[in-house]
Amino acid sequence: MPTKPLFLILFVFCATIGATPLPSQTELEESLTCQCGCGLTVHNCNHLQCGFAIPRKNEIAQFLDEGKGREEILSSFVSNYGEKILSAPTTTGFNLVAWITPFLVVFAGAVLIGVMSMRWTKRESQKRAAGPNVPAVPDKYRDRLKKELANFDS
Amino acid sequence: MTHLGSLSLYLALVITAYAIFTSLWGVLRRQEAWIASATQGVYAVWGCVVVASIALLHALLTEDFNVEYVAGYSSSTLPIQYKFAAFWGGQKGSLLFWTLILVCFTAIVHFQNRDKNRELMPYVTATLMTISFFFLGMLCFITPPFERLAFTPAEGSDLNPLLQNYWMTIHPPALYLGFISAAIPFAFAIAALATGKLGDVWIRTTRRWALTSWFFLSMGNLLGARWAYEVLGWGGYWAWDPVENAAIMPWFTATAYLHSVMIQEKKNMLKVWNMVLVILTFALTIFGTFLTRSGVISSVHSFTQSGLGPYFMAFLLLTLIVSLGLLFYRLPDLKSENELDSIVSRESAFLLNNLVLIGLAFATFWGTIFPILSEWVRGIKITVGPPFFNQVNGPLGVLLLFLTGVGPIIAWRRASLKSLRRNFIVPLSCGLLAGVLFFVFGYRDYYAVTVFSLAGFVLGTIFSEFYRGTRARQAMLHETPPQAFSKLVGKNPRRYGGYVVHIGVVLICIGVAGSSFFKIEKQITVEKGQTFEVGRYSLEYTGITDTGDDHYTAQIARINVFVDGEQIDTVFPEKRFYIKQEQPTTEVSIRPTLLEDLYVVLGSYDVPSGLATFQVFVNPLLSWIWIGGIVLIFGTCITMAPNPAERYELALARSSQMIDGESVAD
Repeated sequence: MPTKPLFLILFVFCATIGATPLPSQTELEESLTCQCGCGLTVHNCNHLQCGFAIPRKNEIAQFLDEGKGREEILSSFVSNYGEKILSAPTTTGFNLVAWITPFLVVFAGAVLIGVMSMRWTKRESQKRAAGPNVPAVPDKYRDRLKKELANFDS
Repeated sequence: MTHLGSLSLYLALVITAYAIFTSLWGVLRRQEAWIASATQGVYAVWGCVVVASIALLHALLTEDFNVEYVAGYSSSTLPIQYKFAAFWGGQKGSLLFWTLILVCFTAIVHFQNRDKNRELMPYVTATLMTISFFFLGMLCFITPPFERLAFTPAEGSDLNPLLQNYWMTIHPPALYLGFISAAIPFAFAIAALATGKLGDVWIRTTRRWALTSWFFLSMGNLLGARWAYEVLGWGGYWAWDPVENAAIMPWFTATAYLHSVMIQEKKNMLKVWNMVLVILTFALTIFGTFLTRSGVISSVHSFTQSGLGPYFMAFLLLTLIVSLGLLFYRLPDLKSENELDSIVSRESAFLLNNLVLIGLAFATFWGTIFPILSEWVRGIKITVGPPFFNQVNGPLGVLLLFLTGVGPIIAWRRASLKSLRRNFIVPLSCGLLAGVLFFVFGYRDYYAVTVFSLAGFVLGTIFSEFYRGTRARQAMLHETPPQAFSKLVGKNPRRYGGYVVHIGVVLICIGVAGSSFFKIEKQITVEKGQTFEVGRYSLEYTGITDTGDDHYTAQIARINVFVDGEQIDTVFPEKRFYIKQEQPTTEVSIRPTLLEDLYVVLGSYDVPSGLATFQVFVNPLLSWIWIGGIVLIFGTCITMAPNPAERYELALARSSQMIDGESVAD
């Protein structure tokens, strides 16, 4: 079973999650959860006069003007408001479990289905090799079938 | 009237306990009279809960503010349709509403099976009555809806303004219907496990119930999305909120079941797996209710912390222990001779489809509970929001869309290379063409183009299935094309209705991809007479009108919409202030077209300066989500159409079960 390439893909996928070198204002706003109770991201907060989202949007714009990178900007927010401000788990430490587990489960399921399918296919082919388990057809019916098929074809 | 309602609930609780006892005692003692008495008990419970529901509705409509629930969720100025909606607008009322639907379904099932499934029905009665007992117990002792206040307030607190919307009057009932109808296949599965009648009878008997549940879950989710789109005013419709997740998880497992059950019917395989899916779907509906009512996860949807959480968790655990225990006990009887002719077959495609659907359900579950897990392990509360779900569920969704196209064109049992080549050529061409067309028309995002191409591929698959089927009938039976087409669908409504459902799903995917990847948005503050540009639109703000009544006050902005210098429409975004709840809301103005929605929100209006702030979104292709929903309804109706072949198969399954039973008895 070629599992190495699959693990490699999984690793690359997990390692690249969230790794974007040039953050945009929208992307950063989407990375933060609004704390006003709307349950949405800072970008999507539906309170146009929101006391939390609007100042954070301005701060993001200011950080970007100062040329700060994504990680630096997000770290600054985390240090002020705690990890709950991030709209998705980080890709380090225990949080990595959040990202990897769903793909591992699907991968394990795929392996299981593959193994079971092969076993079931093998069982079927063994059964077929053993020959049909039906009583022999009497000659008179076999002859009649042949005759009728011949007539049908013509 | 409320005393009568309260009394009815207590009476219903007692009769429910009686029905559980008598149905099981009747089976144990092999006495039909006890079982018949239990059935009568079911109808009596239904009657009692109907009386209680009428009593609560009466209290809401007659503004009996001495009833705590009415005072909390209604008011004298609340429009009548929302007084009805207040029935399920609060914790207590929604639990009664849930119970009402459950006992209605229970009564219908007993009426449908009055002369059928004699061996299964006592257990079905016991299972459904146990679920009812739990809910009635909540209503009688934990959250009584008829609780009275020590005084009578002059006015009620009113219904939450966010719930005062047309879609809210139909979204919760649709979702509840989906959640609760999942209890019927579950009850039959438990009955099959308890009796050992594990053949196809329970599956075929509950096929329509499973479809009904799936249909209402689909509708509930779509109507909820529509409500969020119109009411919440953030330009979107799905935010992966924990309660939204709770509603979509059983949809994933129910969809998986509707596909895998076909393998059991055709090849007598996956018996254990189908049992697991039915149990899982029901358990997820209870889990969803637990999430909404326990307060363990904060959500805009959830009811206030009520202390119901531990009861629901206990009930969920009991459900899982009993059902999985029974499943484990019957494992030897459920072992089927699983055989696959070939890895490349429709059976395999369905297995993969199940894997992806369960993967989606798991990823959603995992993301929903991970904040709790993180708090347990690290002591730190984190948020798992849309970016997580989009990145994890997105690729799985794309894979599922691909499989939706592959499944129908791979033959059952074994697909030859020749048939694959022949069957794939048209769909692949359609997929390629769709991708190129969308790219040419400016939809240039690799992820979105992949979705559009796959959508074209699936549509190509479905249309070629219809075309080949019709042509075959024309050639063999010399029918005219309309005749051949209608008979093709009429003879096999399940298969071709399923394809129509797939068309609906594809249209929804197109809408989701278009509106997610190509959305344009702008927030702007303007003064009267000023014009601003958003996408291809020029919007001219021409002023604000103040209006209102004794229920709410409103400011309605008037905006003329121009395209290429020509006025095409006028939109009226609105901001309301609900007097009793002292809560502002936005009433979005949407101008939908097949190409895109223009979505305008009035954020604020400053009277002294005359400045108004608007948030405007242009959501490409979004209307296709709702059109897809309508197609989905149409397709589901086709699959549920009466089918003589299906009735024959059910009769065959029943007689074969009867013969098996007799031979065991002999």
